[in-house]
Amino acid sequence: MRRASRYPLGDVTVFSLIIINKAGGLIYQREYQAGLRSLSTNDYLVLAGTFHGVHAITRSITPKLPLAQTSPATTTPGGGGSAPPAGYSYPNPGIAASGLEHLETEKFRLTCFQTLTGTKFLLFTDPMTGNVDTIMNKIYELYADYVMKNPFYQLEMPVRCEAFDRHLGAWLRGRT
Amino acid sequence: MAAPPRHSAMLSMNSAVATPQPMPGDMSQGPPQSLTPQPSQGLRVPSNRKTIYDRHLNRSRNAELSRASFAYLFAEMVTYAQRRVTGIQDLEKRLNEQGYPLGLRLLDLLFYRTTTTSSSALSSSSTSSSPPNRPLRILTLLHLIHGPLWRLLFGRSADALEHSVSPDTPNEYMITDNDPLVNAYISVPREMNQLNCAAFVAGIIEGVCDGCGFEAKVSAHNQPTEMWPSRTVFLLSFGESVMEREKVLERSGIK
Amino acid sequence: MSSSKASRIGEETRIDKVNAELVTLTYGTIVAQLCQDYDSDYQEVNKQLDKMGYNIGMRLIEDFLAKSGVGRCANFRETADMIAKVGFKIFLNVAPTVTNWTSDNNQFSLIFDENPLADFVELPDDGRAQDELWFSNILCGVLRGALEMVQMQIEAHFVSDILRGDDTTEMRVSLVRYIEDEMPPEEE
Repeated sequence: MRRASRYPLGDVTVFSLIIINKAGGLIYQREYQAGLRSLSTNDYLVLAGTFHGVHAITRSITPKLPLAQTSPATTTPGGGGSAPPAGYSYPNPGIAASGLEHLETEKFRLTCFQTLTGTKFLLFTDPMTGNVDTIMNKIYELYADYVMKNPFYQLEMPVRCEAFDRHLGAWLRGRT
Repeated sequence: MAAPPRHSAMLSMNSAVATPQPMPGDMSQGPPQSLTPQPSQGLRVPSNRKTIYDRHLNRSRNAELSRASFAYLFAEMVTYAQRRVTGIQDLEKRLNEQGYPLGLRLLDLLFYRTTTTSSSALSSSSTSSSPPNRPLRILTLLHLIHGPLWRLLFGRSADALEHSVSPDTPNEYMITDNDPLVNAYISVPREMNQLNCAAFVAGIIEGVCDGCGFEAKVSAHNQPTEMWPSRTVFLLSFGESVMEREKVLERSGIK
Repeated sequence: MSSSKASRIGEETRIDKVNAELVTLTYGTIVAQLCQDYDSDYQEVNKQLDKMGYNIGMRLIEDFLAKSGVGRCANFRETADMIAKVGFKIFLNVAPTVTNWTSDNNQFSLIFDENPLADFVELPDDGRAQDELWFSNILCGVLRGALEMVQMQIEAHFVSDILRGDDTTEMRVSLVRYIEDEMPPEEE
């Protein structure tokens, strides 16, 4: 899964990164390709808010099966057959509905990783890029280190941590 | 030997306040019955006797813990200190004060460990006599800080030790750490760019100096280079009495 | 997830280390400072430690998730194993015993054999500290903060401490409720 291959990375083009807080606010945005045309701050704010909404919708429209129809083999252990008929459950009840994870066009791929705490990391890459999970995991680790361990960072606020910029930038540039 | 004022103030606080009591120097060796200060007072002890008197002081000597845990504790210390101060200088002063008692305590631990490893002959449990390796001269003290103290705290020696080149300040010395562990995850906001949270470490150094009878003021300063963005210089300014004593010792050829 | 799998994750998660004594002594100065600032009002010190822990927990959870790579727990029993065998293992290099479950599976105890925060510590002999101060109370706050971030409201407090002369150090943890709609599947 996410931890499968930690460090080996192929040729990967990362265009940019966006971090969205629990409430859908934009708290971080950086480009990793020189000369990339950047959107206005307002556009990024709108993008973050819109994506946040769409993400919530994709989660809520996840198909749910009536509990009565799930075969005993797929219900949780001890689930028994006496489930209330009015109940519904996700196809695989052990895993929570995730919401939008990938969005792809001819030109780029957007990968969204939402942490269990509700923060979203949006990574824009070349559609051919593999190993995005590995990159995402490293970004999350750097965030846990250089943002969350910084006493001057206030939770849910825009990320202004020079050490995070520096380490993330160096890692993304140096990994090929 | 007259203790510097701050040192004695600190000690009296220790007995009055809930201070975790690390490593009293006389707890070092021998079976428990040779120890004088058993808690004959009112403290209850668990029946399995897992108290500081029953467990070996070197038990945690090579133990390691998560660096993240230290980072969170240190970050909370900074946040807590910040709520009670006005301005950067005040914050650094407070961090320094938090490090100071650590320095006093680490000093005992350092002496204990250097004596037990270097000479086994020294096994008497008498308390008041100073171990032979107690620094008498500034340079010996500085080497103790630059080497053993840094290794105990940070797992490596400091990166540089210098004497002030200015003739006006012969009492000033500099210890450099290219990448202080305490600042590893900290990004100071631009409007506070004078702040260096390693003031905590400066306090530790100050505690060690005072504990050895070298009255000093120690402060931490940002001296970034391109390669070492959080490079920090600790400036030690020794008091006049120390400098005078230094001259006397110099003349009598004491090292 | 089985508890042996949790143990394995706890063992195998790679983390950066520092000298344990630096952590212990730093925590000691924090407690001592609070005792000084609050004039040995130990109830207040307990409260402040819990608050500090809460702030830490809200941040520490990200490190826990990022470094261990574990996902959402299916039930509170699994959560307890994750706390004891992964969380405490990673951050304090101990693995407290999970025990004394209530029949509704909503309350358990953590029994600590070792507690690095309390190494070198003797409480003040003032006739009060051993009755009033919970020296390691920061840990209760850490659990509360960390679990709140993953949609669990809990309550945690110490019920005994070797530093108070008790034979064990025990923390009681109770699930209050799951927050929002992020309910894990019913266990029933």
